[in-house]
Amino acid sequence: MIKKIIISSLVIGTLVNSLYAKSSDLIEKGKEVAVAADCYACHTNGDGQKYGGGVPFPTPFGIVYSKNISPDKQNGIGSYSYEDFSQAVRRGVSKRGNLYPAMPYDSFHLVTDEDTKALYAYFKSIPAVSQKNKKDEVSFPFNIRMGLKGWNLINLPSNTFKPNPNKSKVYNRGDYLTNSLGHCGSCHTPRDATMAIDKSKHLKGNFIAGTMAPDISSSELRRQGWTQDSIVSILKDGYSKRGTILGHMTPITYHSLSKLNDKDLNAMAVYLLDSDEKIDEQPLTFKNHNKKDPGYTLYTGYCASCHGQNGQGIPNTAPAMAGNGTLNQTKPLNTIYTLVYGIQKQRYSQTNAFAAMPSYKFTDDELTNIVNYLQNTFTNLNRTYTKAQIVKFKKEVIEGAHDE
Amino acid sequence: MSTLKLTINGKKIDPIKVPEEVMMIEFLHEHMNLTGTKFGCGQGVCNACVIIVDNEDGTKELKKSCVNSTSVFNNKNIRTIEGLATKDKNNNLLKLNPVQEAFMEQFSFQCGWCTSGFLNAATVLIEELKANPIRKSDVEKVIEEALGEHICRCTGYAKYYKGMKNLILSSQGLTL
Repeated sequence: MIKKIIISSLVIGTLVNSLYAKSSDLIEKGKEVAVAADCYACHTNGDGQKYGGGVPFPTPFGIVYSKNISPDKQNGIGSYSYEDFSQAVRRGVSKRGNLYPAMPYDSFHLVTDEDTKALYAYFKSIPAVSQKNKKDEVSFPFNIRMGLKGWNLINLPSNTFKPNPNKSKVYNRGDYLTNSLGHCGSCHTPRDATMAIDKSKHLKGNFIAGTMAPDISSSELRRQGWTQDSIVSILKDGYSKRGTILGHMTPITYHSLSKLNDKDLNAMAVYLLDSDEKIDEQPLTFKNHNKKDPGYTLYTGYCASCHGQNGQGIPNTAPAMAGNGTLNQTKPLNTIYTLVYGIQKQRYSQTNAFAAMPSYKFTDDELTNIVNYLQNTFTNLNRTYTKAQIVKFKKEVIEGAHDE
Repeated sequence: MSTLKLTINGKKIDPIKVPEEVMMIEFLHEHMNLTGTKFGCGQGVCNACVIIVDNEDGTKELKKSCVNSTSVFNNKNIRTIEGLATKDKNNNLLKLNPVQEAFMEQFSFQCGWCTSGFLNAATVLIEELKANPIRKSDVEKVIEEALGEHICRCTGYAKYYKGMKNLILSSQGLTL
């Protein structure tokens, strides 16, 4: 009898331990999923409680605030069953009603059941915070959420992620991270008239709040000379041989991408370049200075001390201009944004940061000269803009930045 | 090489050929022997190297001499720390400017590396307040806006801050 009791106790103990290990493994996996999906950046306001929501998202229809996703019963997801949680994350329908697609459920519908379960376990395990949800400030008729049901019917596919059998495992992992958890298309893909992601222009770049979330399609990245290594570097560290990230991408790097493991980052690079084969590094473009160009005096006057006389940059101070991805974009919107507004000091991870870049009050003639000079000296674009074109771009940038 | 013409501390400099890549601070040190402006971070962050540009329209600008080359100052009228005090014809010191007095009174700085940048920015602030006085309740905020980006590693900011606050509140015409 005693022997039976001892054996039963051992079995129960082992089972409990095993269940506990499984549950803590699931929570740990959920934490990784939450990092890859960058839940923190959108659901934690600077001065607010962790995962308490309240981050404002300006949209053409008004301001939408992210919600409390901690396990608080009154304000968060404390009363959510797994099914409720899955509906909110993947179908955009919370227990309080339809969510605005500022919550990227149009990407998260691809998240697998396994990852959604892990995510649920993680968010049930974190400390509950009682931060009250802010009411969205959306104008009529967009404040009637019934309309979102129709929007979902048209724009929300029902499938979860299916690997492409013609592609490698690494590519498929990168596809999953980029398009479902990473929801990169939320910013990098243009939206159509209904504000849905325009799938025909996947990752082809999107103009948001005065800056361009650049074209990161494989053809464009290859044209600019990106490699797997330089993509991993910019995702992980915020900077690379081909330049640094800017503005709204900074918190994404800080809270999410800098914390992904190298294998996953490499998978994203493989997917983005559509190449399992390592792409060779190309020399960084510097076509020598044309000292007769009026842009030369401006470059040496304002830029060269930090970006280098020959555009070589200074590590952890200022990125190289030679071969710089921002200069190499097909429209000079981000170059103009940077010159007009400067860049605030940016912290990309716990160990990497860049100093601020000042803004410059260039005349329209000077702005035209410096933009043309930068593009023609440090990229292969060979394009000269007229003053009228530059003024139009500048107007777009300033209006976009003011709309935010 | 480009030809540089400018006025430094009220004195017109004869046109001089300077390579385009020479930063203003290097020009001041090596060509003009004006070594009071200090080279700090070299990245336009610490503000130690700030000098004053007096524009023709009466406006004033503070420019970082470590990250702007000489061409930025062509045909400009600039002031450096050497030009703030009143001097006689033989360059003998007659009187410090009020900001210099206020900083000395409080022992605002220790090693002195950041002093030139602080002094130039504080001098411009006092000149602007003479033209546009502020409410007494705004003094602290205005000092912080004008000098908050200047980095000092010795005295912990409290002393320059106190010096500036005393100066603004005790000078006639700077506050309403």
